[in-house]
Amino acid sequence: MAAGGRRRGALEQEVLASLAAAGRPLTVAEVLADLGDGLAYTTVMTALSRLHAKGALSREPVGRAFAYALAADPAALEASLTARRMSRLLDAGTDRADVLARFVADLGPADERVLTELLAGDRRDPDDGRGEPGGGDPDGGAGRR
Amino acid sequence: MCLPLVVSALLGATAPRLGRRLPPATAVRLLTAALLLAALATGFVLAVAGALVLGQVPVVAAVGHWSARALGAGVPVPTGVGALAAVVVCGLAGAALRRAVRGGSDLLRSALACRQLGAAGPAGLVVVPDEDPDAYALPGLTGRVVVTTAMLRALPAPERRVLLAHEAAHLRHRHHLWVQAAELAAAADPLLRPGARAVRAAVERWADEDAAAEVGDRALAARALARAALARSAARPRSAPAGALAATDGAVVDRARALLAGPPPPRRWLAGAVGAVLLATSAAVLVTGADTDARFDAAQSVYGSR
Repeated sequence: MAAGGRRRGALEQEVLASLAAAGRPLTVAEVLADLGDGLAYTTVMTALSRLHAKGALSREPVGRAFAYALAADPAALEASLTARRMSRLLDAGTDRADVLARFVADLGPADERVLTELLAGDRRDPDDGRGEPGGGDPDGGAGRR
Repeated sequence: MCLPLVVSALLGATAPRLGRRLPPATAVRLLTAALLLAALATGFVLAVAGALVLGQVPVVAAVGHWSARALGAGVPVPTGVGALAAVVVCGLAGAALRRAVRGGSDLLRSALACRQLGAAGPAGLVVVPDEDPDAYALPGLTGRVVVTTAMLRALPAPERRVLLAHEAAHLRHRHHLWVQAAELAAAADPLLRPGARAVRAAVERWADEDAAAEVGDRALAARALARAALARSAARPRSAPAGALAATDGAVVDRARALLAGPPPPRRWLAGAVGAVLLATSAAVLVTGADTDARFDAAQSVYGSR
């Protein structure tokens, strides 16, 4: 099973998402700091090298470590065209594409205010998602295993 | 005989409430089963009503070798109603067939898109470089999660994890099949239309609950929804026509509130009550079927004895 009570493949997805969000090559330590969540260094390193072995990531040496980035292969370009076509279908708003499940629907005018308040109210909360300490959170680690 | 119609209307009217009150996974399964059953039962009694009236037409009776008079004796269906039922049931069957073909072709197209994404989606995730924050699950034999870079940048890592878990739940539980089945039922019986919408909403709630369970933090899941929805609406300020927004108004807010409200109670009695109504409907339809069968048999024996 995957690390930290995650479903199979979840950590690899999170690592890919992390690199895509950063938009630049990241070292194992940087990915670990981004993901936080009490993950072990070796766990993240294994996920990165597995993705590299699959050809999903490219890597370059940085000092004594490697920095990983999303591989820019030709298949990815074609894939993103396919994906764009599907999302255009979703945007058409017809039920033509109702096999697709979008994460969040469009908002009504009143919804934006409510959701903004939800996030703002939460920022006063010390346990904000953004504020999770990277790696060194013994509680988060213990709670998950 | 008109019990299925009553049940359909009732189900259509109560499905949105049922969908919110039942635990999402139960709601999806139970409502979809109820919608399919109600649609079948409605189609069946309409067909029976139509057959009883059409069967009294002399030409039809001669072809079927039954007595038109014996068939019509004591039939509770007025001629006009029966004829209308026959027309309506043909129309609905046609609509259901069209919907089934369309649903099938949509699923096939999605599966083909997944295959095209094959090499480019290690771990089932396809990242699309795009400034429009968006994320969706693409069902297929092995489905894909498609996320744009703008959406990934909009969310901190723990919330990205919620998003990925949510979409993975859609694929793992084959939510698209439940939605398609509910839509098929609604096409066959338009009284059930609100029920199909309730199944769609419950499917999102199911994936939200799965994601919240996976990250072990309901508030985190609610924040992920809020931030993703706000990022999306900031990137496309009111570009959609006014009418298009109405269908989804409040949907994200409802989901976030449901997450913050705590785990859904099982409400077994409610699920049991819905199940009991379904059983009663099935029984009534079976009785109607048997009655009709007996009536045609009797009419045939009268025809034969002449």
